[in-house]
Amino acid sequence: MNEIMAIWAEWIKPSAGLPTVQWSILLALAAAAGHLVNRYTGLPKVIGYSAVGTFAGLAGFTGAAWPLQGTGLFLLELGVAVVLFEAGGRIPLRWFRHNPMVLVQSLAESTLTYFGVYWLLDLMGVHGVVAESLALVAMAASPAVLSRVAIDTRAAGPVTERALVLSTLSTLYALTLCSARAGMLPRGEAGLSDTLLPVLVVLGLSVVVAAVLALVLRTALRVMSPTSENTAILLLSLIAAGAALASNFGGSAPLAALLGGMLLKQLNPRPWSWPRQMGTASSMLTMLMFVLVSVVAAQADWSRPVASLVMGLVVVRMIAKVAGVSLGNAGSGTSWRQGLWVGCAMSPMSSVALLLVSQYVAASSSIGGQVAVIALPAILLMEMLGAVLATVALYRAGECSRPWSPVVRGASTGPVHES
Amino acid sequence: MSLEPFQKSSALSLGVELEMQLVNTHDYDLAPYAEDMLRLMSKIALPGAVVPEMTSSMIEVSTGICHSSAEVLGQLTQIRDALVKSADKLNIAVVGGGTHPFQQWHERRIYDKPRFRELSELYGYLSKQFTIFGQHVHIGCPDADTALLTLHRMSRYIPHFIALSASSPYVQGQDTAFDSARLNSVFAFPLSGRAPFALTWDEFTVYFNKMAHTGVVKSMKDFYWDIRPKPEFGTIEIRVFDTPLTIERATALAGYVQSLGSWFMNDQPFMPTEDDYLVYTYNRFQACRFGLDAVYVDPATGGHMPLREHILMTMAQIERHAHRLDASASIHLLRTSVERNDNDARWLRERQGEERLLAEVIRQAADRFRGGVDHEPGGFS
Repeated sequence: MNEIMAIWAEWIKPSAGLPTVQWSILLALAAAAGHLVNRYTGLPKVIGYSAVGTFAGLAGFTGAAWPLQGTGLFLLELGVAVVLFEAGGRIPLRWFRHNPMVLVQSLAESTLTYFGVYWLLDLMGVHGVVAESLALVAMAASPAVLSRVAIDTRAAGPVTERALVLSTLSTLYALTLCSARAGMLPRGEAGLSDTLLPVLVVLGLSVVVAAVLALVLRTALRVMSPTSENTAILLLSLIAAGAALASNFGGSAPLAALLGGMLLKQLNPRPWSWPRQMGTASSMLTMLMFVLVSVVAAQADWSRPVASLVMGLVVVRMIAKVAGVSLGNAGSGTSWRQGLWVGCAMSPMSSVALLLVSQYVAASSSIGGQVAVIALPAILLMEMLGAVLATVALYRAGECSRPWSPVVRGASTGPVHES
Repeated sequence: MSLEPFQKSSALSLGVELEMQLVNTHDYDLAPYAEDMLRLMSKIALPGAVVPEMTSSMIEVSTGICHSSAEVLGQLTQIRDALVKSADKLNIAVVGGGTHPFQQWHERRIYDKPRFRELSELYGYLSKQFTIFGQHVHIGCPDADTALLTLHRMSRYIPHFIALSASSPYVQGQDTAFDSARLNSVFAFPLSGRAPFALTWDEFTVYFNKMAHTGVVKSMKDFYWDIRPKPEFGTIEIRVFDTPLTIERATALAGYVQSLGSWFMNDQPFMPTEDDYLVYTYNRFQACRFGLDAVYVDPATGGHMPLREHILMTMAQIERHAHRLDASASIHLLRTSVERNDNDARWLRERQGEERLLAEVIRQAADRFRGGVDHEPGGFS
């Protein structure tokens, strides 16, 4: 692969540089693969994107070097920030007043995931700090994957909605704790209790950026229509600026975006209508994020000990999520069956997890490196398998607008809507 | 299957059914939460019933047997408060209105119940387009013949009911220019429209048996008439109302029906004739299209007059009955709204004119339905 790339680089001199051409072709392939996967298997497009990224990563594609830095890191942060801003806007705080059991479900599944994964890795001989770091990363479910699955399957309903909210909350906890913990790594192996101050610092700084973002947007929405294209561009640009600045000040870019979405929903209770306007720009950014995650994650080293650790982590994480959601299910307004599907729909682990691992690597190459060895394969596995599990969960919960029926050429029995 | 006997009921007793919209609190589109709402509502002791409707974003609530509009309001208040409480728990909102302004019919899901699946198979896409929301008012009749006589007398006032309750100007994101576009969806069904002109139960039974013999109908449920007899309850059921945006207006409409019924049963003011139906469809169209600004053609005289004037004239005629039935407040509420030329369709259009965002109009309509329940100024997000 590298030889081919070298020959190619000698042969053409594109105006925007070879990496731009490589990424453009990769994204084109991912778009086609996503469409074909969705059309012929009924599975979400994200699986096609991840498959192309994985193939490129395994083939030695050098467009995304690990650890992430520069433009690659910024694009990933921006993609995550856009998704989390939208996900944060789905969380009205008043819901927790009317239904505190949702918060109980969230805290239970995240806590159980942390302790479950930590216990297993400790049992399998993983070093304490590494096990603890991985346990924090494992808390984060992926609202990015889940929202793409929901869009592709046209799912809506209590399971979809609750899984999205719980995924977003788990991401909020993981982002806060991991950012603070990563900041402590260079100072030695401090315990979780010593990270309280850094947690407050990360959270505080992110809240400040989030508040500025939310206030500016609320002001803009007083004079601009939420359905206008310009409002969508304004929103994207402000999130990009926030993402670039938040980390610089010691906060977390995705966390600031998530909190910004939540704050804006409180300050401006009007309907959230701009995601539709963001349309293709946002979708391309999200696709880029999935391809980038799988390209990077595929570069991981798959040995037998790593494989068993990854499999163990994935299984315990899933059990913990289902158990946690079920633990707080009584009185939460959903049935036991729905609680089970909510837990399953929270399986995906993707871009946020990669960002968190990236933070660990940047903070301490030795500990971060050990974390990445196990986390990267787990992320890759759960980006694809998690998407499949989430799809099955949403179908089994009866929340997809049509039964699962892959389109077979010439066998269509009704109108097909492109999406 | 033969027609079941007409049960006895207390004359002028009332029952109100409201089909409600369930919307999410994110973009305020319809949300498939019927099953979850039914589960939560079943845990609250309430008068009447809560049942599923054709598609999974709808729910139907009904009062028990009431004898006055005050009693209707009392029961609807209890039900409304329970609906709001359950919706808050699920992070959704409950809204009135005859249509959801921007929902896409093809995204709807048929509620999983044998009858709805059968109807869906028979009517195809019409069943999903039946995601429309109406108010039904039952009025008790002492016997079957009185029921049919009252039914046909009441049919002269169908335009009144439509104009007063109209709350469905928007369909699929567009202003239809109708005040009640909902009834256009009902008209697509083959057994919709007016009931056959039969003034005695014997005549009606002959008609029903002939229809049953053709195999087209099995029970009274298969008729989607604007007004139909409901023999198992001993009532007639008026079905042309759009679901209003508030329970107060729903109650007032029930009070208006009850007062009209009292006028018909006690004063016998006129005898209905088959010729009444010559202008029936035209009057119905006028009311759907123009609401309170419609023209009303008097079936008896053929004279044309503004519907608004005819409604006010009727209200004067039934005032005595309304007073006797303790329904004066209902008539007052409706009269004020007619004098201000104001119905729910107009409110929706005004909000849309202001907001330029139908989702925001729905949010404000949901806020309006909540009434005094845990009302949060500035909206409820």
